[in-house]
Amino acid sequence: MLTSPIVLGQIVVNGLSLSSIYILVALGFTLLFGIMRVVNFAHGEFAMLGGFSLYYLYAVFKLPWLLAIVLVPFMVALPALLLEWLVFRWFYQKMFQSMIGLLGLNMAMIYTALIAWDAFERNIPAAFDGIVRFGGIIAPIDRLVTIGISLLALAGFYLLMVHTRWGLAMRAAAQDVDIAATQGIDTRRIYKLAFVVAIGLAALAGALYGQIYSVSPFMGERPLFVAFVVVILGGMGSIPGAALGGVLLGFTESLLGTLYGGSVAAYASFGIVILLLIFRPWGLLGKPE
Amino acid sequence: MASIASTDVASASETAPVTGSDRMSRTTIVMLAVVAMVLAIVPYAINERFGYHIAIIVCFAAIGACSLHLIIRTGHVSLCHSAFVGVGAYVSAYVAVTLGFPFLGGLVAGTLASALLALLIGPIILRLTGKYFVLITFLLGEILRMVFMDWQSVTGGANGFNDIPAPAPVFANPKWFYLLALGAAAFCIAVCGRILSSEIGRFVNAIRESETLAECVGVPVIRTKILIFVIACAFAGFAGSLMAHYARYISPPNFGPIESLNLVIMNVIGGMNTLIGPLIGAFFLVLVPELLRDYVQLQHVIFGIVLIVVMAFMPGGMASLKDVYALMTRRSGRKS
Repeated sequence: MLTSPIVLGQIVVNGLSLSSIYILVALGFTLLFGIMRVVNFAHGEFAMLGGFSLYYLYAVFKLPWLLAIVLVPFMVALPALLLEWLVFRWFYQKMFQSMIGLLGLNMAMIYTALIAWDAFERNIPAAFDGIVRFGGIIAPIDRLVTIGISLLALAGFYLLMVHTRWGLAMRAAAQDVDIAATQGIDTRRIYKLAFVVAIGLAALAGALYGQIYSVSPFMGERPLFVAFVVVILGGMGSIPGAALGGVLLGFTESLLGTLYGGSVAAYASFGIVILLLIFRPWGLLGKPE
Repeated sequence: MASIASTDVASASETAPVTGSDRMSRTTIVMLAVVAMVLAIVPYAINERFGYHIAIIVCFAAIGACSLHLIIRTGHVSLCHSAFVGVGAYVSAYVAVTLGFPFLGGLVAGTLASALLALLIGPIILRLTGKYFVLITFLLGEILRMVFMDWQSVTGGANGFNDIPAPAPVFANPKWFYLLALGAAAFCIAVCGRILSSEIGRFVNAIRESETLAECVGVPVIRTKILIFVIACAFAGFAGSLMAHYARYISPPNFGPIESLNLVIMNVIGGMNTLIGPLIGAFFLVLVPELLRDYVQLQHVIFGIVLIVVMAFMPGGMASLKDVYALMTRRSGRKS
């Protein structure tokens, strides 16, 4: 079965698009943890909001797809600053309290969405039809666009983190907040910036994910599960680790999901996590504690 | 990182002196006995079928919350506790219905199955501290729920498990089942209280405050954690078995992440530093939804917000209200 180029191509393209979405989710999650020591249990719900934003912008208000997908992160992340002010800022540098408190936020957001939008699943119509052929491999264009958008976002994230003063400040704060503050870094502003970036990435991932599957108040569960697996695989707070974990999980799921179905893929990814915990509990790229 | 996790919990427990747990245990026991007696009488005084039902649900919630409390006291928050309740429920139902054993066989099998699973998975996941433990238990809860869904030949899948018999014909009446449930809850709470006030309880406190330090002074850290985890999960399975034989019908959503989270909420709202905390929480979380029956979704939103507020401003929970009150009166006294 694996020798068939069509199946192989499908696995590769699906693997790439899943990986890129997973990396977007996990990057934000690990960024929030690395800088603010906040375990964001509500991360999947911001992805859900991203999905709904794309649904409204593209399917209801009929904006051009590219404009809609660019607007989505801002539409979610900027209003989310209100939540940052109301909820998140109380939990900075308090890991234990943040987990439980944000679980509460997670539940409040799911059920608020349920009251507002009901439980039924909405489909976002496909933005691009048609397929591309490379030799024997057939790739649907919308999957390629998903991969392209994610890669652009990842490149932007990389530039922000590595080549700007803001990125430098964020990396400094991730290493040691107090020392960063004594060097004149305004940590309050850095927190806000990191928050907007993380939530924006989650929203973008949610929009792309909702485009592939469907949009509903419960759609955040899967991205949250994924973010957990990815950060455990890659090591929490480690940005290259999130990338590596995302690729591993995306391809595992694509391969097993294509050959054996979705639930086998989920069991397998959990099995991998357990194996990793036995042999390298600090993650593939994390540091031993 | 381990130290971060434990100092976080330590700061949360500042308001309640750990050393006080031994001294408090006698008043605690007396109070619990009084509460149990009141509980035993109240539903009979109301004498309404619905009253018994609520009382029974409170008993199940109390077993679940108190057993989770044992794990939380070691500084680990488990997000898959109701999945273990589910393991007990399904195994018990399978043994009683499909294999045709009497109720007691199901109860024992359910309890043991849950404990066995905890014994298998515990040594792996209990090496993790703080955040990683929370994440992995969340994943485990999801996986177990998927197993309940997918293993249709045993669990009935999404349709659930039907026609589970009552423990005995007399217990088909909630009036009498209530006594069984109350007895079970009293037994579990007593055992949890006894464990926490014993030598092992002091180990548990030491582990929560600092695992490294506990290890250095000779506390068998990993063994104690596994022991506590297995006991707690056994109680969860025990409660699950009783639930299956009370409700007569179980399905995967009964044991999902929301239910696990509810058990955590009971501990958090009530207070994570004393055994009274989860009991207060269990009452609160069973009774309040009954008052808000017409607003099921809104009540989840409210609980979510309560959780945020409690964690942000009152990490000791309701059990620490006394301290908050003392602090406030002292402050105002100083002002005047």
